[in-house]
Amino acid sequence: MKLEVGHIFINDIQFASESKIENGVLYVDEEAVKAIVLEDEKIKGVKFDIAKPGESVRITPVKDVIEPRVKVEGRGGVFPGVIAKVDTVGSGKTYALKGMAVVTAGKIVGFQEGIIDMSGPGAEYTPFSKLNNLVVVCEPVDGIKQHEYEKAVRLAGFRVAVYLGELARELTPDETKTYETYGIMEGKEKFPNLPRVAYVQMLQSQGLLHDTYVYGVDAKRTLSTIMNPTEVMDGAIVSGNCVSACDKNPTYVHENNPVVHDLFEEHGKTINFVCQILTNENVYLADKMRSSDWTAKMCRLLDLDAVIVSQEGFGNPDTDLIMNCKKIEAEGVKTVIITDEYAGRDGKSQSLADADPAADAVVTGGNANQVIVLPKMDKVIGTEEFVTIIAGGNEHSHREDGTIEVEIQAITGATNETGFGYLSAR
Amino acid sequence: MVKAIEAAGLPVVHMCTVTPISMTVGANRIVPTIAIPHPLGNPALEKDEEYALRKGLVEKALKALTTEVDGQTIFDN
Repeated sequence: MKLEVGHIFINDIQFASESKIENGVLYVDEEAVKAIVLEDEKIKGVKFDIAKPGESVRITPVKDVIEPRVKVEGRGGVFPGVIAKVDTVGSGKTYALKGMAVVTAGKIVGFQEGIIDMSGPGAEYTPFSKLNNLVVVCEPVDGIKQHEYEKAVRLAGFRVAVYLGELARELTPDETKTYETYGIMEGKEKFPNLPRVAYVQMLQSQGLLHDTYVYGVDAKRTLSTIMNPTEVMDGAIVSGNCVSACDKNPTYVHENNPVVHDLFEEHGKTINFVCQILTNENVYLADKMRSSDWTAKMCRLLDLDAVIVSQEGFGNPDTDLIMNCKKIEAEGVKTVIITDEYAGRDGKSQSLADADPAADAVVTGGNANQVIVLPKMDKVIGTEEFVTIIAGGNEHSHREDGTIEVEIQAITGATNETGFGYLSAR
Repeated sequence: MVKAIEAAGLPVVHMCTVTPISMTVGANRIVPTIAIPHPLGNPALEKDEEYALRKGLVEKALKALTTEVDGQTIFDN
């Protein structure tokens, strides 16, 4: 399967009377995007704002971050099974608006939403501070149930992203990158001497607002499966989860998964990137056992030499991670696992809830318990009201001088377990 | 906590959903439970059924507490 991704660089976002992209500037007709959000009767009101890198701006509580894309050639459309009809994506040509994102925010959905600071020390911990962000602040109708509100905000973000992506359909990309993987036999013939490597991606699927969707299917209701790694570049996986902000994968991370991109960098040179394997992180022990059995079984069936396993979230998913690692290694397939740590504020506690000698190659995304003081910002998009109850915050988070003290757990993307953030250790 | 209480001389039953973690941390008597968000209940059941489930789990734990073990044991019957 072969996909060309055309990058269209967006250097600025401005509100205007007509939506268009011109000379690297995204002009947004506020009324048009407002109407798109309000298509959902569960959303009472919506406000838009623009946050640019370096500004004294805090966005919170952040739910999702989305990169607008448009499918210009080939099967299907962006976010298949969610916005576009179900059809296999990942081939043909797709344009992506680089340097910007749609950020959904507003009154809290779960208790684990995040903070994006556009400047100051907090900005150093979130990759999304480097983007021009169109922030969508939704207000739900009264009496709505939490999970209905989550769904409404999730889908509103995707609709806005698809609308903005469409603006690029007739443009010429600033640069184009090509990604291609092969059938099992074809790949073996093409790269007979290269080690066969796959990416095992664990998807957050604990339920109760901790969910991920694959082609629109709730991942907790799936068995482990395989797909072409280009499919994620067309939005095959989307986030619907309100797990700790630091190590959940916003939709933006799925679209731009660094493990996928780094494996493609080496594809045909030092490795044969065979496929992506998806597995889940459910709350029943039997599910954990079944899903990890299935993952290990597929690694053997595909005659892999090695896999990279990335986790999402922390706590009991540490067990899914270790089960995957142990069982895949037992099939004679080497593993490297990517996780993050909850090692206490001083970093001296046990980092993971589970462990095994088979996990002898581990990459960390950082210690989520690390404490940071965030300065007062000139402007807050959304509300700071909830920083005391989001994961990483506590009742003392609002300090008298207007600063905020939180664990970096509260910062969107701070300890991302696909390596999307800036932290690690040697 | 399980280990600290046992170190003081009292036997402990660890009731938990993710028994592999319990094994890793070194509990000796482990009783598997339902699910992480609701270890000792199941909201999908009717009230009477759930009561029976909960009572059964407690009885199983009490039985485990009074059973001699030779090393780490999962009471999954």
